[in-house]
Amino acid sequence: MTRIDFVEVAFDSLRINRLRSALTMLGVIIGVAAVILLVALGQGTKNYVEEQFAGLGSNILIVTPGKIETKGGPPIIGSVRHKLTLNDSRILEKKGYLFAGVAPVVFGTAEVRYQNRSRNVSILGVTPAFQEVRNLHVEIGSFLGEADVDARRRVCVLGRTVKRELFGNANALGQTVKVAGTLFRVAGIMEKKGISLGIDIDDLVFVPVRTAQELFDIDGLFEILVSVRNKNDLDSGKELAMSLLKRAHNRNEDFTITNQAAILSSLYTILDTLTYVLGGIAAISLLVGGIGIMNIMLVTVKERTNEIGIRKAVGARNRDILLQFLFESTALATAGGIVGILAGVAGAYALRLLVPKLPVSIPAWSILLSFTFSVFVGVFFGVYPAKKAASLNPIEALRYE
Amino acid sequence: MGSEAASEPLLRLRGVTKLYEAGAGRVVGLSDVDLEIGAGEFLAVMGPSGSGKSTLMNILGCLDVPTSGTYEIKGRSVAGLSPDRLSALRNREIGFVFQVFHLLPRYTALRNVELPLIYAGVPREERARRALEELRAVGLEDRKEHLTNELSGGQKQRVAIARALVNKPSLLLADEPTGNLDTRSGDELMEILAGLNASGVTVVLVTHDPAIARRAHRTVYIVDGKLVSVERFREIRG
Repeated sequence: MTRIDFVEVAFDSLRINRLRSALTMLGVIIGVAAVILLVALGQGTKNYVEEQFAGLGSNILIVTPGKIETKGGPPIIGSVRHKLTLNDSRILEKKGYLFAGVAPVVFGTAEVRYQNRSRNVSILGVTPAFQEVRNLHVEIGSFLGEADVDARRRVCVLGRTVKRELFGNANALGQTVKVAGTLFRVAGIMEKKGISLGIDIDDLVFVPVRTAQELFDIDGLFEILVSVRNKNDLDSGKELAMSLLKRAHNRNEDFTITNQAAILSSLYTILDTLTYVLGGIAAISLLVGGIGIMNIMLVTVKERTNEIGIRKAVGARNRDILLQFLFESTALATAGGIVGILAGVAGAYALRLLVPKLPVSIPAWSILLSFTFSVFVGVFFGVYPAKKAASLNPIEALRYE
Repeated sequence: MGSEAASEPLLRLRGVTKLYEAGAGRVVGLSDVDLEIGAGEFLAVMGPSGSGKSTLMNILGCLDVPTSGTYEIKGRSVAGLSPDRLSALRNREIGFVFQVFHLLPRYTALRNVELPLIYAGVPREERARRALEELRAVGLEDRKEHLTNELSGGQKQRVAIARALVNKPSLLLADEPTGNLDTRSGDELMEILAGLNASGVTVVLVTHDPAIARRAHRTVYIVDGKLVSVERFREIRG
């Protein structure tokens, strides 16, 4: 039948009551901004953690000696019959067609001394492959070479912190340090990496793997790091490493292969959950904003009873009044949603400037979701007041002062 | 035109009774009222306060429906119409002028006059044009952009008349239209109503003021919800 211009009617009414409209919107603005900001924070935390782990490489398999039984917990020291050896590492390197790099690692701690300064640090015995596999690079000088490993040369590469503590600002390259009482020539200084997984990468000293075995008087390995060429081949890479090593170990599975990505992905799941929880808490404030809209609309209906009476007297049908008020609340919520998005995005950018370490980012879904939700809130919480307005008796409404 | 020429009156009430449920029992608003109003008439309904004037006006204006009896507009009964059908009927057939103006505050005069046209589904440009026309007719064209709360009482009531007439209703229903006006504005307003009636608009005027009622061509008297003769009315009042 006739098309009523209730959109125009509603906008007129919102414009005439500017202050009230603005205050009503405020609840939704805060709610939407909170959703966007908190989700951005959660996402930022996830990004931060991701960055921290990025150094590890998400394509790495870690082979450790001993079998971790489901029941038995970690292997008891001494019960490891078969150690991991450089031979194992060589087999993986030769026959592991899926692997980009294989890095055997020996681990120990020792005192490092230069002149009268000394420091207890972790010593990693590695091969040149370690650089690529762990994505750690030398900044000054050169990393350990194949020849250094084969000849068991006494050369070392210092982490940033070790260099600073022992040498200060002086040049360390080519100098001689004492590692566990043995003289080592400094071949290079690592680039600054910071703390990853609780280990200070900068507080390490790298020596050739065979040299380290000699130094600590061991013939086994602490672990073998294997990087897989293609991320999608992580599982088949694990299978491959498993079968190669089992053959080398007389079909005994006396080692453990850990998929780094699997651990990370479960960590990310936790962080995602954290993001959702933050978003959920913010959504509650959005809900409260919606209830605010309902409150104001109820007050509005009361306050504008006379107006409703007048409109009905001149021919407004119940539906016209219902749509007018419903549209008013929806428009308020929608406008509040848009302003809230702008405020949330601005807040996230401000946060990024203030705390550059935390890489906050706004996922598109949080904008879409909070906007949709705010519009929904406007409709949902607008229905009851609008119905109330529509059902007013025109005579009583006209009499209302 | 003239009422004698028409076979069918514009409005016809037969045995209209209105009862209100009020606390303990029922209150009689109107009791067995018979009334016919022809097209082009200028009728005054007189009665003291609480006599049932307002109830009669509400029923004539389709704001309310009778408890029993029939009310016909142009031969069509309004009994059993839904609130929405009554709204549509008011929009088309009735123009209201109230004692307390009942204009939307903080809206311009033009917006107020447009109001019935909005609910008639008239497009925007035509709405503005017709509303301006009506404002011109009551001499307020230059006040169209004024907010109604900035207008004087007399101007407000003229805006209300413009609003009442903008959708060309069959009936102009005025409830104590001069009640909140000073004498001069009241006189001016009565001139406007008389002029409108002279140009063919059917006017029903509800008042308690005999001086106002005298301007009408015919007066009916109401006491305790019943229509009474003028003699009886004078007797009760005296």
